[in-house]
Amino acid sequence: MTAAVTDRTVPALPRPHRGTRVALVLAGVVVVLFLVTVLLGSTIVSPSELLAVLSGQTVPGVSFIVLEDRLPTAFVGALAGAAFALSGTVFQTLLRNPLASPDIIGIGYGAATAAVAGMLVLGLQGPWFSVSAFVGALVVALVVYFLADSGQHTGGRLILMGIGAGAMLHAVMNYLLSSTDVRSAGDALHWLVGSLSNSNWERVGTLAVALAVLAPLTAFAATRLKVLQLGDDAAAGLGVDVARSRLTLVVLGVALAAAATSVTGPIAFVAFLAGPLARLLTGGRTDFLCSALVGSALVLAADFAGSNLFGDTSLPVGVVTGALGAPFLLWLLVRSNQQGMGG
Amino acid sequence: MARLEAQSLTLGYDKSMIVNDLTLELPAGEVTMIVGANGCGKSTLLRGMARLLKPSAGSVVLDGKDIHTQPAREIAKVLGLLPQTPIAPDGITVRELVGRGRYPHQGWFRRWSAEDDDAVGRALHATGTEELAERAIDELSGGQRQRVWIAMALAQETDLLLLDEPTTYLDVAHQLEVLDVVADLNRRRGTTVAIVLHDLNLAARYADHLVALKHGEVYAQGHPAAVVTERMVQDVFGMPSRVIPDPVAGTPLVLPIGRHRVVRGRDLDQNAARAAAGTGSTGTMPSVAAAPTAAVAGDAQHAGVDAPEPGVEGEDGLLAALEACPTVAFKLTAVAATTLSPSYRRVTFTGEDLAHFGTGGHPLDLRIKLVIPSPASSGEDHVAALRPDGRIAADDVAGWYRKWLAVDPQERGWLRTYSIRSFRPAGHPGNVGEHPEIDIDFVLHVKREGGKLVGGPASVWAAEAEPGAEITMLGPNSKLCAPDYAGIEFRPGTARRILLAGDETAAPAICSILETLPPGMTGNAFIEVPGVDDIQGSFTRSGVSVQWLPRGSRPHGELLNQAVRSAVAIPAAGAVVPGQDPEDVDVDSTILWETAEAGSHPFYAWLAGEAGTIKELRRYLVRDAGLNRKQVSFMGYWRRGKAEM
Repeated sequence: MTAAVTDRTVPALPRPHRGTRVALVLAGVVVVLFLVTVLLGSTIVSPSELLAVLSGQTVPGVSFIVLEDRLPTAFVGALAGAAFALSGTVFQTLLRNPLASPDIIGIGYGAATAAVAGMLVLGLQGPWFSVSAFVGALVVALVVYFLADSGQHTGGRLILMGIGAGAMLHAVMNYLLSSTDVRSAGDALHWLVGSLSNSNWERVGTLAVALAVLAPLTAFAATRLKVLQLGDDAAAGLGVDVARSRLTLVVLGVALAAAATSVTGPIAFVAFLAGPLARLLTGGRTDFLCSALVGSALVLAADFAGSNLFGDTSLPVGVVTGALGAPFLLWLLVRSNQQGMGG
Repeated sequence: MARLEAQSLTLGYDKSMIVNDLTLELPAGEVTMIVGANGCGKSTLLRGMARLLKPSAGSVVLDGKDIHTQPAREIAKVLGLLPQTPIAPDGITVRELVGRGRYPHQGWFRRWSAEDDDAVGRALHATGTEELAERAIDELSGGQRQRVWIAMALAQETDLLLLDEPTTYLDVAHQLEVLDVVADLNRRRGTTVAIVLHDLNLAARYADHLVALKHGEVYAQGHPAAVVTERMVQDVFGMPSRVIPDPVAGTPLVLPIGRHRVVRGRDLDQNAARAAAGTGSTGTMPSVAAAPTAAVAGDAQHAGVDAPEPGVEGEDGLLAALEACPTVAFKLTAVAATTLSPSYRRVTFTGEDLAHFGTGGHPLDLRIKLVIPSPASSGEDHVAALRPDGRIAADDVAGWYRKWLAVDPQERGWLRTYSIRSFRPAGHPGNVGEHPEIDIDFVLHVKREGGKLVGGPASVWAAEAEPGAEITMLGPNSKLCAPDYAGIEFRPGTARRILLAGDETAAPAICSILETLPPGMTGNAFIEVPGVDDIQGSFTRSGVSVQWLPRGSRPHGELLNQAVRSAVAIPAAGAVVPGQDPEDVDVDSTILWETAEAGSHPFYAWLAGEAGTIKELRRYLVRDAGLNRKQVSFMGYWRRGKAEM
């Protein structure tokens, strides 16, 4: 994310804008969590050892852990968290509904099903695996989008259709998993939970390249998204090509979700949680930079917790975020019902 | 200035066509209001004109180019739209929201600039939302929020602004607030505005141009005073109503008539009279309803033409003016002068001579002449013989005017004709002094150049007249006219339906006639005045519907012409006496002055004002609409391009 996404419509104020202050604090939190992920764990790495490793020295017992395990894990966690969060925030803002995150409206299932099919049926790996996740997500997203009249029915209809599509894909995925041999299915299942444990520098590279392309595009599209937020008619009145802008944003959101999913597997509820949490921090406004930072922090914190807080058992990050996200979803449903906007 | 028009536009959703082959041009620099029943297609039309809907047929043209062939962002720099229900993002401040209106002015590389800041500042200022700028939208009241949305549309800085129901959900005070902001914008920046509004009365009040839609087609368009009629309301909204002049704005006011809660008198005119009872009036209000009678004895206009029998000659061989002259010269002193509007100044005169003023107290269209004094005059009284105490040679009873004309204007002054706006006999509670008083409404055609008033001598005199100013009036002699003499030209006879039409010079007479008309009379009164500010409160107990037509920049008489044509259709239904072909009278040979006799026709028209306009109206009524000449009075009070009036 670049600073260009923060709100430019506010002229310089004597003190930094609230969004900027929140972003600075969040960036600090992410850095701390990043360091915690790298330094702490079953083997504790001291800061001086870390500096030594980073400066190229070989520290026995530490170099491997830092360079081949913890650093890639921390990078993948931070980048995937940001990508999920951006994707979720794009969809939630575009569809004006906090329920409209990609993991709820079937896009996550699209990516997962296509990826599992690619893995189990075609034996895809590496970049092609990512491409299959992206194509699956995009197909589901576009089908849902056009079934809901090019997204004109942004409320319940699109979300319900997405949930329906998700259920169907879930069935397909179960069929694929149950009809292959146990070992392959085990790999797929592990991936499906969402985990950072397979992180390596190649995957960091994949994610970094994807984000380097997608984040600036999202930042640019966000200026249009801000106008689209005013409603379709108002946006059209301001000279935005509503249908095209919406389609662009859908494709961007799908690409972000698919890029992260293909690397880490679907980490549950990060896309769903990051936007609303960031809004709580910024006082209700949508801020993409803050959302991305919240997503990074969520994934890093959940991964650290899953790895270290449950004794000998190491829980994959998706289990922890799932445990956090489900109650939030319930709370959101209860609240939106009270407000009469239940989708 | 941007021009937006719909050309044979057909709009619809899916297969149902909502707007059919509609052609409409938004008058540049004016406020157009689009009204119509629910589902008539007014919002659809607005959306179509803002290129939110692709036309099924026809096109929307902005400055000569089809808007669907141009980039949306370029259009958005010229044409702004505020939709019915825009959505405010959560947590956004007023300033940020208004800033989003700058979107079309930003490009791929051009980001937020000082110019954008200025535009936002101007928009906040114009809508009075500056002090709200840092507040969150969620904290604002409905009226404030709507003003902020308008500010957003203003920040777009377009020449054209389309607003869809901007007053929905607002209480009446906030509705006015919003419309005032839009009116200010239109006045100050010349922005062309089109508004879809469901409140017909507010639309009529704030519109320069009103478009009534019915079933996706233009039912009527034009000035609200010409468009809003009981028939239009019936046809477009399917609702019976009465249309009366809005006592506040002078624009048409629609009073709906439902099935319940309507005063149970069968005669709506009587209801109106009952409702009006007790309200004060500036003019003369007869306490009893006297049908206006066509009383004729003397003739102030054509002094000396109908000379009555000469009085007794005195020893000097002269006659007493009061005995011999139908017209006498009254010495008057101004006791009050009020500027009513940019074009009207009312001067109240008094003087003991008025004891001899020949009217029954309820002048209808009583015309008198004032001798506007010349600053260069020697002070000699050139109408001394016509004074109530004057004595006059028998020849001069008819011939004084020719002699007077021969005197140098710089010495004698100038003769000008006016209508008596109201006459209050001695002892009237509204009077300042003991003598009778008259009000005369002067039409001012003056402008100020270098601190000095420039205009005709009469206009300048009236504009500068203050209490104490003295003037001579030539008017009817009470001794030689019937006691109920009320002017000569308004002679409706037994007609119960009348048409009164005139320009600003006729307004005092029309107002005076309206005040005197009894309940039971129906019809229309059209008064064309120079501007909106010149609309005066007019009172009538009759059922005559009064419409003021502010001319603005239109040619003189255009609105009046339209209004009369819309009121008297061809052939004038119910007004025509069949079998009587109109005679063609050469109205060019002299200034048009044709008075009707008291007749027995059901319809009577009285038209006065600029001669050219009146001539056209006369042609229309007598030749095209087939009215009998006896049903119509025409008076050319003045002629355009001629200073004398």
